Order: sequence, then C-alpha cells, then structure tokens
Amino acid sequence: MTPLLEATALDLAYGPVAVCRDLSFQVMAGEAVALIGANGAGKTTTLRAVAGLLAPRAGTLRFAGQTIDRLPSHARLGLGIALVPEGRRVFPFLTVRENLEMGGFRHRHQRRHVARLIERGFAWFPRLRERAGQRAGTLSGGEQQMLALARAMMSEPRLLCLDEPSLGLAPIVVQDIFRTIAAINRDGTSILLVEQNAHYAFATAVRGYVLRGGSIVAAGPTAALRSDERVRAAYLGGSVGASGGI
Amino acid sequence: MFVLAVQQGLNGLVLGSLYVLVALGLTLVYGVLVQINFAHADFVMIGAFSAYFVTHALHGDYLLSLAAAGAVGALLGYLVNAAIFAPLLGKGSELRPLIATIGVSVMLENGALALLGPVPYAFATRYSAEVIRFGPLYLTAQSVIILAVAATAIVLLHGFLRFTFLGKALRAVAQDRETAGLMGIAPDRLIMLTFIIGSALAGLGGALLAPVLVLTPFAGTSVIVKAFAIVIIGGFGNIEGTILAGLLVGLIEAMTTQVLDPGLIDIVVFGLLLAMLVIRPTGLIAERREENV
Repeated sequence: MTPLLEATALDLAYGPVAVCRDLSFQVMAGEAVALIGANGAGKTTTLRAVAGLLAPRAGTLRFAGQTIDRLPSHARLGLGIALVPEGRRVFPFLTVRENLEMGGFRHRHQRRHVARLIERGFAWFPRLRERAGQRAGTLSGGEQQMLALARAMMSEPRLLCLDEPSLGLAPIVVQDIFRTIAAINRDGTSILLVEQNAHYAFATAVRGYVLRGGSIVAAGPTAALRSDERVRAAYLGGSVGASGGI
Repeated sequence: MFVLAVQQGLNGLVLGSLYVLVALGLTLVYGVLVQINFAHADFVMIGAFSAYFVTHALHGDYLLSLAAAGAVGALLGYLVNAAIFAPLLGKGSELRPLIATIGVSVMLENGALALLGPVPYAFATRYSAEVIRFGPLYLTAQSVIILAVAATAIVLLHGFLRFTFLGKALRAVAQDRETAGLMGIAPDRLIMLTFIIGSALAGLGGALLAPVLVLTPFAGTSVIVKAFAIVIIGGFGNIEGTILAGLLVGLIEAMTTQVLDPGLIDIVVFGLLLAMLVIRPTGLIAERREENV
C-alpha cells in the first residue's frame, strides 16, 4: 500500500537559513500522525512545506502517488491537502459565513454543496452558526480556531494538516476542537498534526515523529513514544498523560 | 441662493463621481497588492483619447466609446500587471515595480505626444450641448450620463465584492494572500482581475472626463493628483472611504468655485489633504481602514 503522503529526504530552508534536514515521513490513508518536538524544531516549517507555502530545497513530496513539491498551495488544495495554519489566520474582515465559503472555493460552482458543507461546520461548532454574520476578526481565539478548522474542512480534503490547534486556548475549547478532529479522522480524513500539548497529540494520533533541531530523532506508534523515557524527558515534560503540554 | 447651492452640489457630485472612478482603481490595486501603479493616470488619458477617436474618427456613438475606453483600460491594466507586477510578485521588491510604472507612464505620455501632438483636442459630444431641466436645476445630458454610468459602476463593483464568490475571494487575497492560497484561490489570477477592473474604471473615467477635460497627452496628470489625494483622504485601500472622499472632494471643489474662487480649488483640496494627514492619517472611515478592499 502506497502512503497518501510521502516525504523523502526533505531539506527545508528560509533563504540561507536551513531549518530541516533529511526529513522522511509518511501518512497512510485514513491515518492520524503527529509531529512533536520543542519550539523551533521545525514542525511548522514541515507543515508549510507539505501545504505548499515553502518549496523544499531538496527532496521530494509525493501525494497520492503524484510528485507535488513544485505545486503552489492552491494546486495542492485541489489534490486534497488542507492546512489549518499556525495562528488560525481567519480572514478578519470577512464574516464567519464568508470565511467558510472561501474554504469551499473549489466547490464555488456548486452552491448547494457549499451550503451543505457550511451546515456540517455549524453542526460541529454551533457557536459558529450564532456568529455567522459577524466579522471573523471579532471572534474569540477559540471561535477563530473552530472557524479555521471548519474552513479547512470545507474543501473536503483527504489530508488535513493542523498547526498547533490548541495554542492559547482554554482547555474546554481545546477538548471540543480535538473531539471534532477525532471525528473527522474517523470519517476517513487523514490527519497530520503538529501539537505541543502532548496529551492531545497522543490521544489523537496513532503514530508520531519526534523532531529535534530539524531532524527526526524518533518515530513510532504514539503508545511507544509516550513511554519512551528519552522522548518524555526531552520534549514532553514530566507530565505526559496529564492535560498540560510543555 | 438655495437653488444655486443645490445646483453647485449637483455639479460637485458629477465631478466627484468622476474622481471616484479614477481613484477606485488606485485603491483596489493598493488594497490587494500594496503597490501603486503610476501609469494609472495615463490609462485615464488613453481612455479619453479612445473615446475621442471612436466618436470622431470612427463616427461611433459616445456611449459606445465608453465601452471601448473601458476595454482599452482593461487591456492596459492586463499588460502592466503581466509585464511589471506579476513577475516581481512575492520577490520582496517594492520599489522596482513602482519605478517601472513611472517609466511606463513617461513612455505612454511621450508616445502619445509624438503621435497626437501637444495641441488640446476639442471633444464635443451631442450630449454636452443638450441641457436637461429638473425644475429650477440644470444638468447637461453629459452630466447625467456621468452620474448614471459612475453610479452603475460603483454599485456593480460593490455588489461584486460583497456578494459574489470571486469578489469575496478578491477581498480574501487582499486580507491575507498566503491563506487565500491555502483556500485553493490562485492569488495571481485575482491580482490580475483587480488590475483589469481598476484599469477599466480608469479608462471609463477618462472617457467620461474627455468632453470636460483639456484633452492632451498629459491630461491624466491633473486628475491623478486629485485621485491620490482622494485615496489618502479615504484611507488607502478602503473602497467605501474612497467613494466618500471622491464625492466630498467634488463637492468641495464646486463650493469653492461658488463661494470663493475657482483658482483656489487646488489650495483648498490639498489643504484638506494635509489636514487629514495630521488629524486622521488613517482616513475618513478610520475604524475600518484595515480592510483593504
């Protein structure tokens, strides 16, 4: 079985500044995979490369058997890769509904389908329905994260990449969001998750890669990583299993 | 006295709506690209000459020439974006395209000068002489056309941006180009669309101005300086602010003519601009200024 996403020997850099070296990882169809590691380990950079916001300096990215590393982000979305970016990045002056419509841009000629997908998003997060006509910039951080997630799902991706969906949010909101992410994964969408909150990362993903200084230093089932003393000590703090992250 | 004030107000609105058409193109491009197209003035001038030649040389109707001028403007916008802005997009160079458009502007003006000469062209349409009476008020048919076409263009643009998928995508690109790409929106195509729309408006504005303008190859310059003032007063990139500021400047000009002296128009308008920069540098509709487009 070929992986849905396959990164081989990726080198990633911002201009002259090298961030990641020789990254190889896979996400199988239907699988949820976590990238974990401390701040500055290169997790966000890796997701940006997958989504097409950063062209790799070397190495290849294949998605569903197709080489994608020269495709721009809008073309990758068409193939089925969506990203919930770091910091949520909702369009602040578009309403909640308009933000969702933008997520469904590829379905723009099927208005009814877009309306159905918006309803699905509202069913996940009823708060968004209440705020449908409100500018997204006026939402709370938690509501913006809900919107960013619902917006990314509007394109009906095969692979959903998430960059720190719990960052800066109240625990109750984080629970709500991860419950939805788990449901999305159960419905067949593959997940590539960057998350500092170890509890949620391990609860959501079945496999994980540990990054340090831009390289993968450990990989395996999350159950094994969770009990790996080195991983615990270096990246996860002392409290794996508690609700706190690093 | 009251009738006279209303009459001048009407004249001001006619002038103001012309300014709005020209300024909208500048503000649209700035909103989406945070760049200024200095050749915009010459799109106005070429639009005016396009209208002139369609009506005079080809004996077409003036109304038809408006469409032609809009199309010529759209084509120019397409070319300038394809040749100058698109290749430098995302390369982090803000100054190069700006200087390049100044170069395009100089080329267009001197090209027109070589082709058309420095003597002003007299552009009289049958609508300029036709006066329509509304009770005690008078408007030329030309003014009525200007008001109708400008109002239609503004309403259409507004509706496009608020209610169509593509218009909303354009606003999304203006707010966050990278994230728009993540939505599957191809930003470069929408930037091109912005140039085409903005430049078509400039061409159209030129055609509407042509009969009231001193029509020379440098005709765009006088208008564009006002358009820049309007864009700044309205808040760079802010569509509603630009519309409001354009109408306001038109009204102020008309009232200056009425109450003070026509020779003082520029002093009053640019005095207002300086005052705005000091008091409200964010533009008229300050709380919404962050929304580009």
